[in-house]
Amino acid sequence: MALSRRDAMRFTGLAAITAAASGYAKSDKTAAKSTAKGVLLSPAPIPAAKGQRVVIVGAGASGLTIAKYIKKGNPKVDVVLMDKRSVFMSGFLSNLVATGVLPLEFITHDFLEAARNGNYNFLQATVHDIDRTSKTVFTNEGTVKYDVLVLAPGIDYDYSHWTKGDVELETVLRTKFPAAFIAGSETLSLKSKIENFEGGNFVVTVPGGNYRCLPGPYERSCLIADYFKKNKINGKVLVLDENADITIKAAGFHSAFDNMYKDYITYMPSTTIDSIDPYKQKIVTEFGQEIEFADAALYPRVRGNKLLEIAGVAKDSPANKAEANIDPFTYQVIGDKNVFCTGDVRPMGFSKSANTANTEGKIVAANIVKYLGGQELSRKTWTSPLTVCFSAVSATPDLRAISVHAEYAYNDANKAFAFANAGMNEKWDGSEGIDGGKGLKEWGKGLYRDLFN
Amino acid sequence: MERRNFLRIMAAGATVIAVNPSLIRGNLYAADGRLYTAYEKAQLVDAAGNPIKASALDSEMTYIFNYPYASTPCMIINLPEPTQQEVQLKSESGEEYVWKSGVGKNRTIVAYSAICPHQLTHPTPNDNFIQYVPKTKPTMAYDNSGIIVCSSHLSAYDAKAGAKNLRGAATQPLAAVVLDVAADDTIWAVGILGSDKFQDYFKSFKPEFKEFYGGIAQAKQLVSISAKTVKMTEYSKDIIQY
Ligand SMILES: Cc1cc2nc3c(=O)[nH]c(=O)nc-3n(C[C@H](O)[C@H](O)[C@H](O)COP(=O)(O)OP(=O)(O)OC[C@H]3O[C@@H](n4cnc5c(N)ncnc54)[C@H](O)[C@@H]3O)c2cc1C
Ligand code: FES
Repeated sequence: MALSRRDAMRFTGLAAITAAASGYAKSDKTAAKSTAKGVLLSPAPIPAAKGQRVVIVGAGASGLTIAKYIKKGNPKVDVVLMDKRSVFMSGFLSNLVATGVLPLEFITHDFLEAARNGNYNFLQATVHDIDRTSKTVFTNEGTVKYDVLVLAPGIDYDYSHWTKGDVELETVLRTKFPAAFIAGSETLSLKSKIENFEGGNFVVTVPGGNYRCLPGPYERSCLIADYFKKNKINGKVLVLDENADITIKAAGFHSAFDNMYKDYITYMPSTTIDSIDPYKQKIVTEFGQEIEFADAALYPRVRGNKLLEIAGVAKDSPANKAEANIDPFTYQVIGDKNVFCTGDVRPMGFSKSANTANTEGKIVAANIVKYLGGQELSRKTWTSPLTVCFSAVSATPDLRAISVHAEYAYNDANKAFAFANAGMNEKWDGSEGIDGGKGLKEWGKGLYRDLFN
Repeated sequence: MERRNFLRIMAAGATVIAVNPSLIRGNLYAADGRLYTAYEKAQLVDAAGNPIKASALDSEMTYIFNYPYASTPCMIINLPEPTQQEVQLKSESGEEYVWKSGVGKNRTIVAYSAICPHQLTHPTPNDNFIQYVPKTKPTMAYDNSGIIVCSSHLSAYDAKAGAKNLRGAATQPLAAVVLDVAADDTIWAVGILGSDKFQDYFKSFKPEFKEFYGGIAQAKQLVSISAKTVKMTEYSKDIIQY
């Protein structure tokens, strides 16, 4: 092993925090130390901060928005945006790529272009530790100091309900039947699964909790069914939904399932999976029902990205494990106002969607500029993010989509947020559906422009 | 220029916008600071090149013309009622400015840039997602119609109040086109009031400029003498409205 994490931490005085978690061999300590000193504990190769520095971890919809709009709000702030990926691929609209409706280029974008246009530094690096006392971020490229840190690393999957801690099973599930709710290889896997499908049951699962992109699994089911129908594949999409009913745009999806895909989609609400055999390709439900499948996209529950735990800012939310322990109005970590957590790691019950992350990112960016200028943030500086979300229900012969849009309002009585000023368009069969399909693409193009131009 | 000719408005920051009403003969106040830019005057003409008369504009129809650049679409609408007057507006960076009123005999004619300041959706020869929604047509974007809606992400703008933001993700009004209706009822565009998105637009649509205008240089050419003005249904193949 080239590096012992425990040894690396000793250099920074963080041993106490991390020792317990360490499982590394102690043998080649000397070699480990020198590597750690040389690479990981020296400053990352980016220019020295030219003012107050904001480090943003995660260049998704949230981080990209915040980086750009902090610079717009105050060009003097030094912004460093980090991501472990070298290429941006969006989760949003990726169902259309997986089913061949849109080309891969549509969802693939260039972080460097965003950094050039936004006048900030982009560092391609994986963050593996954060010391909030010395305000240091540890990456595989070295260390970066911050004045304000934004954690926008998105979701991780929580397979524990299915695997009960069996890591081998989890690895097999991740590899053979990826959820495809974190864009990248998973998306490409799903695409080739659909293209190469010969027939039988294709299982799509819908998890409980506040999972990423509520309509996503239903949209995907429609598009896979559309693909089967168009290509005369004798396949059936089995939608195994942990929830009692379709979680959003229910009328629109139900009518699409019933009217367009009667022979292609079987919707199974309130279906909790008890066990999955990835080799025999069999699912057993809580009530003992056995379901065999030819292929699947198994979407487990979601949780906050592990980085939150590493940074010591994670807390279980009512819906999901290990989400951000923040003030819901200011996005600042409880007890550490210099750290903000945004995007899909937020614990508020907002829709985990790109549009929410984008509108929220502008609000948070403006607030960070105020905070760096000495202003305290509070409920008074909060405004609601907006959710505008289109979902495709068919691609042949026309792309048709239904949509929802909403703001959020805080309810002091139950201390939770709820939709406000919400509107739906769930009619897909008339001209509304076709307009929705056009709207879906324009919606996405607008968002990419905002993130990258 | 004499000092009393200037109307001073203190902005949220320390920016002072000096407005000189004598600068223009039209009915809109224009700031000579960052938020008003005078461009070459252009007469609105129809597809055949004949001048459009203010009194001949259909009520509640969105017409499109490109101004001040060859590729930057604007809309002109003859509203069913007189507009508000002296509307205080604010750009996304906090600068305040005043939109004085509509033009024409009854102050019903307004014109705005059709580049949505949210994420730059705008009419193209293919489609149009941003337009005026007539009073009788419901919209998902807002409680009542008779407003401008961008159906890309449902931003709603008050057509009769300088395109003030009513709801949605946009954080500033549409830039206004400063119009001048001459004594012979002809209509002239003279400048842009408010924070426009032209530079972001030029950065974002290079392939589109190639397709529709021949290239970026052509797209950036300033309009001179006249601007062809057609109904939105003639400008774009598809009209998308929620
Ligand atoms: C199939 C699908 C369909 C969807 N459909 C829609 C839709 O129609 N509309 C909509 O609005 N949204 C949709 N979404 C949801 C949307 O994509 C997400 O909600 C949004 O991307 C969340 O943004 P984020 O910035 O919080 O997280 P992400 O976009 O996931 O970004 C997080 C980033 O952090 C990086 N990162 C994580 N850990 C580290 C680390 N340790 N070091 C460095 N970098 C790290 C990751 O590489 C990633 O780039 C969809 C998602 C999927 C998957
Ligand atoms: S681009 Fe107009 S509302 Fe988003």
